[in-house]
Amino acid sequence: MKKYYFFLLFWIIGITEALADSGAYNEMMYSSGKIYVVLGVILIMFVGIIAYLIYLDRKLTKLENQINYDD
Amino acid sequence: MKKNWWKILGVLLLLYTILAGMLVPLKPGITRINPNRAAAGESVTISINGYNTHFAQGNEGIRAWLKLDDRRSLEANNIFVENDGLMHATFALPQNLPSTDKVIPMSLIVDNSIDGASVLPDAVFISQSQIDSVQGARLMPPRPIDGLNSFEGMTFPYRNILVESIRNMYFHVPLWFGMILIFALAVYYNWRYLQSGDANADLKGLSLIRVGVLYGILGLATGALWARFTWGQYWSWDVKQNMSAVAMLIYLAYFVLRGAMDDREKQARLSAVYSIFAFAALIPLLFVIPRLTDSLHPGNGGNPGFGGDDLDNTMRMVFYPAIIGWTLFGLWIAQLFYRKDRLLEKLYEN
Repeated sequence: MKKYYFFLLFWIIGITEALADSGAYNEMMYSSGKIYVVLGVILIMFVGIIAYLIYLDRKLTKLENQINYDD
Repeated sequence: MKKNWWKILGVLLLLYTILAGMLVPLKPGITRINPNRAAAGESVTISINGYNTHFAQGNEGIRAWLKLDDRRSLEANNIFVENDGLMHATFALPQNLPSTDKVIPMSLIVDNSIDGASVLPDAVFISQSQIDSVQGARLMPPRPIDGLNSFEGMTFPYRNILVESIRNMYFHVPLWFGMILIFALAVYYNWRYLQSGDANADLKGLSLIRVGVLYGILGLATGALWARFTWGQYWSWDVKQNMSAVAMLIYLAYFVLRGAMDDREKQARLSAVYSIFAFAALIPLLFVIPRLTDSLHPGNGGNPGFGGDDLDNTMRMVFYPAIIGWTLFGLWIAQLFYRKDRLLEKLYEN
């Protein structure tokens, strides 16, 4: 499963790069006084923290299953 | 509820950070002007584009200067306002300037009753063909700029390259401050483990390092995005970028070290020692080496601390709560990991 996360990451980077080539990405990021850079930063942090919580959630699920087996 | 007051405080501080950090407007400023060069002796009309400015609304008493130094400046003799964000100022440049240089940079100052004064440093480059500084001093007598308006209300500073992205000061920068505080707390628990052999202290240190590494990686990613649209590329091989990446690799090796050993006690002892050394390496990597050379980051390259226009008092009112908020939030995540680890440990004991 971990392998697929890496593929997903590269896929997102690839999409971003393709957008960067098209110029529309640059145009948007520089518009409105670069406010979209701030939006991007907040999105990265949001996605990173949520991904961490999902990781924790899965670990807890595993732990719960182990406890259930013991009963 | 009483035990969890710090989680509530952390979330409230983050809420405040996001609301204040996103809603407080930027101070009016000058984005660009055209042309940015002129010859002495001619009459030049400069188009001035403003950001968040109210040229049309503050039309009464709108004034503009080209400033040479602290004493000498040249006031515009005619100003035409097109709209709130665009105006044209005409300057009659004297035949000679009080300088012996061939090309002289002059700063542009625009002032009106709503926005207050905005400055664009080294805005126009004046070239003079004949150099006669004595005659120039006579043509441009010292005249102070007085009666400037000041902007009323709470604003963040306007910085030419950053513009709105100055708000990243409340998201990207506190991640690093929070990371350092969290790593420092991890060192405290590692030390406690080495003193007492308490397994819980080891688990606390592990959870804190997990969150610190998360913050560090997020800091690198958000910094790369900010750098792309400020310095031109995601990774500029800036010394602080490199050194923080090295610090992250050092901390990632902590998990490798833990995973490499099966004996629980040996694992805890060695990783505690490693974490203390990693923190001892982190401080010079982030705070000493970047100061020794040139860095794109503010507050580096021999110039200690950031302040002035990079962090004014209004920004401090959001920046410091942001650091506390992000740190408490990180501690909350660390506590969840710690509780999970302790449960796991209990499960294997029985």
